[in-house]
Amino acid sequence: MNVELEVKNLSFYYAGCSEPSLKNINFPIYKHKVTALIGPSGCGKTTLLRCFNRMHDLYPGNKYEGEILFRGRNILAPEVDLIELRTKIGMVFQKPTPFPMSIFDNVAYGLRLRGIKNKKELAERVEKALREAALWDEVKDKLKESGLSLSGGQQQRLCIARAIAVEPEVLLFDEPTSALDPISTAKIEDLIVQLKEKITIVIVTHNMQQAARISDFTAFMYLGELVEFGPTEKIFTNPEKKLTEDYITGRFG
Amino acid sequence: MDLGLGISKKWDYFMDKFFLFLTFLGAVLVPLFLIGILIVFLKEASLAIQKFGFVSFIFSSEWDPVFEKFGGAVPLTGTIIVAFIALILGVPIALGIAIFVSEVCPNFLKQPIRLAVDLLAAIPSIIYGLWGLFTLAPIHARYIEPFLQKVFTPIPFLGKLFEGTPLGIDLFTAGIVLSIMIIPFTASIAIESFYLVPRVLKESAYGMGATKWEVIRDVMFPYCRIGIFGGIGLSLGRALGETMAVAFALGNINNFPTSLLTPTTTVTVKLANEFTEADKDIHLSALFYLALLLYIMSLFIIGSSKYFIMRVREK
Repeated sequence: MNVELEVKNLSFYYAGCSEPSLKNINFPIYKHKVTALIGPSGCGKTTLLRCFNRMHDLYPGNKYEGEILFRGRNILAPEVDLIELRTKIGMVFQKPTPFPMSIFDNVAYGLRLRGIKNKKELAERVEKALREAALWDEVKDKLKESGLSLSGGQQQRLCIARAIAVEPEVLLFDEPTSALDPISTAKIEDLIVQLKEKITIVIVTHNMQQAARISDFTAFMYLGELVEFGPTEKIFTNPEKKLTEDYITGRFG
Repeated sequence: MDLGLGISKKWDYFMDKFFLFLTFLGAVLVPLFLIGILIVFLKEASLAIQKFGFVSFIFSSEWDPVFEKFGGAVPLTGTIIVAFIALILGVPIALGIAIFVSEVCPNFLKQPIRLAVDLLAAIPSIIYGLWGLFTLAPIHARYIEPFLQKVFTPIPFLGKLFEGTPLGIDLFTAGIVLSIMIIPFTASIAIESFYLVPRVLKESAYGMGATKWEVIRDVMFPYCRIGIFGGIGLSLGRALGETMAVAFALGNINNFPTSLLTPTTTVTVKLANEFTEADKDIHLSALFYLALLLYIMSLFIIGSSKYFIMRVREK
C-alpha cells in the first residue's frame, strides 16, 4: 500500500490562540483508499482536513507546526504554491456551493483557471467529469441553466464533478452529506466508493455508519488529538483504546 | 371594558390609541409629501407644458427669456453627462475600496478605512464645490488639462474629448468633484453586498486553486451583481441631485458641451441661478418644468435601484 500523504508531528494554532487545536498528530493516508476522520464536534477533524489544502491560510494569523508530506514534499512549507497544491488536493464542502454560473461553466471552472480554452477539450472533460459524478444523465439537456436550479443532492454532485474535472490526486470531503436527504446521501456515498479507484479520499463525517460503510481506514480524534488510527473494520469491531470504543458504541459524542 | 375592579383604564386606552395614531400620521406624511410635491410642480409647470409640450421641450436647446422661448435640452443633457462622468470615474474607485476592505485589508485597518469613507460623505456638498472651484479648477487649467490634451490629441476620437481651451471650469472638473462625492455611497453598498457572499462559496473557489482576483471576478461579482447595480443606480440618482454642488466648477452656460473641457449647465444649476431673476410667468413655469423632469428622473432611478437592493436583502 502506497502512502499518499503522511502527517508528521502536526500541531495547529488558530490566530490568537496559545492552545493548539491539533496536538502532535501522526498518521498516514493511503493512496486510492478512503480515510474517514471521525470524532465528536470540536475534536479538530475539520481543522485537520483543512490543513491538507492549506485552507487555513486564507485567514491571517493561523499557524502550523510539523509536516504533511505529499510525495516526499512538505506541503506546509511557506514556499509551497497554494494554487498548485489546491489543484492537486481538491475539496468538497458541507453545503453544496455551486458558483453563480451555468452547470457547464461550474464544471469547466477549474479547467479554465488552468488555461484550457479549447471548446472541444472543455466539452469532453466536462462531460467526463459529470459522468464520473453520476450527474450527466440528469443535466445533459440543461447544461446552460444555472447551477443553482438543481436540487441539493444534484448541486453536491455538481460540486464533486467540478472538483474531479481538474483530475486531483486527493479529494477532501467535509461532511458532504450532512445537508442532504437519505437518497441523495446514498448516491454520494456510492460515488465516493467509485472515485477511490483513481483518487485518494479523505472524508470528515459525523455519521459513524457512513464512516463504517465507505471508508477503508478511520482516524478517531478527540480534543485535538488523534486517539486511534487503523483499518476501519478494526476500529469499529475491535478498537484498542477504551475512548474509541465508548465513542463507537455511542456512550458519548 | 370595565371589569368592575375599580380601575379605570379609559384614559390610558385613549392615550395608547392617540399615540399609535401619531406614528401612523408620521408614516403617512412621507407619501403625501412625494405626491404633494409632484402636484405643485405639475401645476406650476402647466403653463410651460401647454406651450412647449414634452418632446419639443426636452429636445429644444433654446433658452431665451427675452423672446420667451424655453427648451430644456442643454441642462438635461448636462445633468446626465456630469452624472455619468462621475459614475465612470467614481464607481471603479468605490469598487476598489470595497474589494480592499472586504478581501485584502488586514483586520485592524478595516474599521478606520470604513470610518474614513463614511466621513467623506459627511462633508457638506458646498465645501466640495468650493474645493473644486478654488483648488481643483486652477490645477486642472494649469497642469492636468494641457497634459491630457498633449497625450490625447493625436489619438482619434479620444482627442475630440479633450478639445478646447483648458480653463479648469468645465465638465471634467465638475465630474471629478462629483465622483468623489458619490464614492462613499457606492463603496458602502458594495462593501455590504460583498459581506453577504457566503464564506464557504469563496472557500470553494479558493479550493479550486483560484487566485484572489479570480475569486472576486468569478464568484463575488456575479453573486453580488444585482446589489452592486442597485448601488450604482442609487449613486446615479444621488449624482443627478448633487449636480448643484458642482455649480461653480461647471460654469453656467446654456451651450451643449462639445468636449470634456467645455463648460455647460445642469438642471439644478439653472434652477439655483435663475429663480430669483425670473420675472415672467412663462420663465418661472419653464424652470418648474425642468425641476419636474429632474424630480421624476431621480424618483424613477432611485426607486428602481432601491427595489433591486431590497430584493437582494430578502434572499
